[in-house]
Amino acid sequence: MDYYNLLTTCAFIHLLVSIPYAYSNYVENKAGQFFSSGHTNNWAVLVCTSRFWFNYRHVANTLSVYRSVKRLGIPDSHIVLMLADDMACNYRNPKPATVFSHKNMELNVYGDDVEVDYRGYEVTVENFLRVLTGRLPPSTPRSKRLLSDDRSNILIYLTGHGGNGFLKFQDSEEISNMELADAFEQMWQKRRYNELLFIIDTCQGASMYERFYSPNLMALASSQVGEDSLSHQPDLAIGVHLMDKYTFYLLEFLEEVHPASQANMNDLFKVCPQSQCVSTPGHRTDLFQRNPGSVLITDFFGSVLLHDMKQLVADVSSQKPKQKDWHPPDGFILGLWTLILLVFFQTYGIKHLKHIF
Amino acid sequence: MAAPLTLLLIVAVTIRAVLFRSSWAELISERVEVVSPLNAWKRVVEGLALLDLGVSPYSGDVFHETPFMIYLFHFVVDYAEIVFMVTDGITAVALYLSIQTYNKNVFRKQKYALESDRYPADCLELLRSPKEMFYIPLKVAMFYLLNPFTILSCVAKSTCGLNNAIIALFILCTLKGSALLSGILLALATYQSIYPLTLFAPALLFFLQRLYIPVNLRRSSFWFFTLQYAFIYVGSLVVITGLSFFLLGSWDFIPSVYGFIFSVPDLTPNIGLFWYFFAEMFEHFRLFFICVFQINVFFYTIPLSIKLKEHPVFLIFMQIAIISIFKSYPTVGDVALYMAFLPAWSHLYRFLRNIFLVSCVLLACSALFPVLWHLWIYAGSANSNFYYAITLLFNFGQVKSLNLISHFT
Repeated sequence: MDYYNLLTTCAFIHLLVSIPYAYSNYVENKAGQFFSSGHTNNWAVLVCTSRFWFNYRHVANTLSVYRSVKRLGIPDSHIVLMLADDMACNYRNPKPATVFSHKNMELNVYGDDVEVDYRGYEVTVENFLRVLTGRLPPSTPRSKRLLSDDRSNILIYLTGHGGNGFLKFQDSEEISNMELADAFEQMWQKRRYNELLFIIDTCQGASMYERFYSPNLMALASSQVGEDSLSHQPDLAIGVHLMDKYTFYLLEFLEEVHPASQANMNDLFKVCPQSQCVSTPGHRTDLFQRNPGSVLITDFFGSVLLHDMKQLVADVSSQKPKQKDWHPPDGFILGLWTLILLVFFQTYGIKHLKHIF
Repeated sequence: MAAPLTLLLIVAVTIRAVLFRSSWAELISERVEVVSPLNAWKRVVEGLALLDLGVSPYSGDVFHETPFMIYLFHFVVDYAEIVFMVTDGITAVALYLSIQTYNKNVFRKQKYALESDRYPADCLELLRSPKEMFYIPLKVAMFYLLNPFTILSCVAKSTCGLNNAIIALFILCTLKGSALLSGILLALATYQSIYPLTLFAPALLFFLQRLYIPVNLRRSSFWFFTLQYAFIYVGSLVVITGLSFFLLGSWDFIPSVYGFIFSVPDLTPNIGLFWYFFAEMFEHFRLFFICVFQINVFFYTIPLSIKLKEHPVFLIFMQIAIISIFKSYPTVGDVALYMAFLPAWSHLYRFLRNIFLVSCVLLACSALFPVLWHLWIYAGSANSNFYYAITLLFNFGQVKSLNLISHFT
């Protein structure tokens, strides 16, 4: 009898004690999951390389990616936005201070709080490479620097006119795919990134990532070698094509993504199949160490760490205590009213009570 | 006399309700003459909000009310207007009843003095008849309720009205002869702002007179009663302070309330004498002048008590007047309390020599306060000296009126 009691008590205590263990295991799993991506901050370098009014769509491309990236949480301080021309305030823009991505002016990607870091003629191959490698003159302000470290995930988006193995900057110079690959290698050697996602929307874009050789690089392009990336819709009021097809469908895909979404890279690779894009988008993942299926979109497009941390903390600890209304302590109320009653009876005498009761 | 009193109360409540609903309520509650850092309603709300956020309301220099106020307003903060109107009503009724009792006493003493032929012949015209004295309590209540100062103070929801109510209840209990209640209410009044401490002496004198104990320091009966009364007073003060400690669980309120009253850190202009002086004071001399100014308030008790020991009610009146002139953060609500007593001695008005001058000074100053404030703060064409001049003149007028009234004795 006693032995049985002892056994049940032991089992009960064991159960009680193991609950926090099980809970802490759960917490560890969650934490492990959370830290598996290995990055602690996110950066984005978004470049539009073409100028002139008829290249409106390249600026719209870049601004739509900028918009998505900001919406998903990367702050302006961590975005280097390079626009080779100013479409919003171009004298040919019938709707000044706007850059639309959808026809009939459905979506203004220019918004109220765009921060352009390199504008106009500052967008050159040299500046782009200097931003990537960090070799800028000491007087460069912080907003124009890519201040990444070895725990940064960087998104690099390029758009403009390109060809087999090159990308045209400002109609006056080019960057070749070898230069780009060497720049990324420099970044790797200098530990300037943890993982890097490279997206390019130009004609024959896949040629730009052929030469990459540094680890932890994933690349997407809007068209294969020999194909042209096509533009999407013209708007008859503005008079130019508003977006390129690939980035248009990329924007539509990203609009569905929110900071807590679990969409991964495999979904990104499926954006804009040939039926929609006419060109065949390509991607390259052989240099990337993780399985693309386990890489979240928000690992590159968003800055979800704070959000995730909040989720983690909310899971681990109890809910934040609700704001309580203050109440006077019971002892005080009791004491006060006892005294008042005492004084009352002292003044008016207890003998009156006889008449009441 | 219940009907005229009720009518008066209704009229007063109507005036206050109308003003509460008008746009002037906001304006009045910001006037520095009407609210001070000690009794502004804004600060009460702020303190209660801090308490709801889990922070001590005395942190930061916002809230200077006592914990009993927290307890009271925690429950009635939504009905604040009604509370203040009821408070004014309580004050008026308390004053009414106390002046009624006082008049009865005075009349009885007059009767005995007449019967024992103690009056010289030429004083006969000063004798009061019951008919004259019949309306005096109503006049006192009217002087309090319909006084523009009181109305302003009520509309601004300044807790000065509550302090006045406690003092009025104290006077009522003293005049009715209940030493216990009087001691407790005096302790409550002292707990609210320290200055009613000076009312201990007149209350004591009144009780001694009532109990026919001669005020002779060598008599043991005098000390016996004094000690009893002091024990009631100090005991209730200790109990009240202890209870306040239990309300919030800390002694924070002592430096915030009493430290604030004594050390006058906030130099917002008001109708008192402290702000200007201490704004230009060098730090080195600050403690000295704080002591001087505060002793000034308490010091007049001794000579006045000696001179006026036969007339304790008049002494109460004088003390309240002195407190409201010389306290560290006076407002017009304090002035209204002692002005309510003036009809009690209306038969002696013919002996006031400069009444015209004094009343003109007080009226003109009351009118000039907002004018010079506007000129100083908004128009920028005056400066603090102008406003302080009017403050000084106002207080001078009050002192002069006290001077005159002291001729009553």
